[in-house]
Amino acid sequence: MAAKTLASAKNEVSKKRTGIFAPTSLFGYFMMLPAMSVLVFFFAYPLSYEVWTSLTDKTLGNDAKFIGLDNYASLLTDPDFITAARNSVVYVSLVQMGKFILGLGIAILLHQKLVARGFWRAVVLVPYAMPGFVAFMVWKLIYNPDIGALNIFLMKLGITDAPIAFLGDRTWAMGSVIFATIWRGFPFWAIMFLAALQAVPKELYEAAAVDGANAWHRFRNISLPGIRPVILIVFMLSTINTINSFEAIWLTTAGGPSDATVILPVFAYKGLAAFQIGESAAAALSLVPVAMVFAIFILSRLKKD
Amino acid sequence: MQRKNIKFSIFKYAMLSLVAIFVLFPVYYMITLSLRSQSSLWSKSTLFPVDSNLDNYRAAFENTDFKRALLNSVIVCGSSTLIAVLFSVMAAYALTILKFKGRDTLGRIIIIAFLTPGALLFIPLAVIMANLHLSNSLRGLILVYLSFMVPLGTYLLIGFFRSLPAELEEAARIDGASRMQALWMVLLPLVAPGLVSVAIITFTGAYNELLYSLVINISPEMRTVPVAILNLSVADEVPWGRTMAFSSIAALPVMALYFAGQRFVVEGLQTGSVKG
Repeated sequence: MAAKTLASAKNEVSKKRTGIFAPTSLFGYFMMLPAMSVLVFFFAYPLSYEVWTSLTDKTLGNDAKFIGLDNYASLLTDPDFITAARNSVVYVSLVQMGKFILGLGIAILLHQKLVARGFWRAVVLVPYAMPGFVAFMVWKLIYNPDIGALNIFLMKLGITDAPIAFLGDRTWAMGSVIFATIWRGFPFWAIMFLAALQAVPKELYEAAAVDGANAWHRFRNISLPGIRPVILIVFMLSTINTINSFEAIWLTTAGGPSDATVILPVFAYKGLAAFQIGESAAAALSLVPVAMVFAIFILSRLKKD
Repeated sequence: MQRKNIKFSIFKYAMLSLVAIFVLFPVYYMITLSLRSQSSLWSKSTLFPVDSNLDNYRAAFENTDFKRALLNSVIVCGSSTLIAVLFSVMAAYALTILKFKGRDTLGRIIIIAFLTPGALLFIPLAVIMANLHLSNSLRGLILVYLSFMVPLGTYLLIGFFRSLPAELEEAARIDGASRMQALWMVLLPLVAPGLVSVAIITFTGAYNELLYSLVINISPEMRTVPVAILNLSVADEVPWGRTMAFSSIAALPVMALYFAGQRFVVEGLQTGSVKG
């Protein structure tokens, strides 16, 4: 009883004092201080520095001179940048499509009645647990024309007579890199989708079975709507990761052959390595509009839920 | 009906076996090739283990650069993980339990930072760290890694704090606990699985990171494991047996960690992406 009145009294006090200098506010800012300092020094500051640099002609050892939007203008007429942007779109959309299909298919498979489901789930997690740099080195080896497993396999079966340079041939390079990226990334989708499927109430399926719905209808009308929010969020988180996948390209093809697999982060990295700091800053910033669309989308979705 | 079930069962396990081959073959290939010498690789093309020996592994343990890189990675990832977990707990706690002016704005800033691709910031970070004389140092890399670990950790932990009953903190306070005591003795033990999962996810994220490490630490003594493995190749010549042996050694501890903490990792990813 006494505790109750104390609590309500406290509530009134805190209602009255919610300004910036109220004790609870000060404690809140104190707890936020370390994380916010990290973000100010290593996020906000570099970001503003990058915006400023992209408006200058900064190269190494050169005093930066303000040149307005010239870097952006020259990027838009640079065929290499256009190639990188187009490659990024192709790479990200095909990788995401592949991860979605594979992830959903394997999640449905794991959702069936299974002996040792935990074991199968752990097997599916293997590519995701493997460090990315290891995974992509192994795929580079598998694609190798001389000693790679894929060529040995295809030639033993007599499908090809001559080895194929999967990463060195323009027709194969992008597809091969996309396949390796899907291999490494699909487990995240499968595990998320599996958890979402398991959270769909069983009664819904039972009721539908009583009503005579077949497996496809149950999937279409119960499972899919049930896991829709998870699909959306996984799609967004994974897309941002995939836009970012510098290592997948750098370790396998380094952007080659002749720019066939250069995506935006690789383009920006090559610019930095050539000390074209201003221009590569502008190239890196061209990721912002893409990331912004996803950020706004995810924020509005989270608010709704 | 019975027959249909058996057919379906066969189909299920056949599909699962295909998935298992698809997933495990690269691991198998990495290990078999790590056991072979360069000359054996070039003379015999086979998918099966032949000429197996441990020479490449012995080379790894005699390679001072690689041992140095392993130590660097442990130092960088270990310390940045400890700091990131601490900062993230404080922030996630403030953003879910405390009420203060501007809370929603700060929360939104964290999410925006979390959703920003790292490839966006590597150029200014490289220049800034060089200007601060922090490039080519493990300290510099630790600081840079915090820029993605803290937003990630906070985002995941917000999910864990939110899943606690709202009255819990209040009840502890009414019983006379201070805010710090309530956090330390009541809330933290309950979000402990979240702490483990954030620690594993951020540690592996930092361990696997290549781009920042590549542009910030250029000198050979400060290399982390991914850069050291990349640098085994000279020009286009990759010593495959050796690269695979070094890669296996690099992958083993992280994969062991991942599977030991599998339950926490999966829970963390789910809480983060579903409830957060």
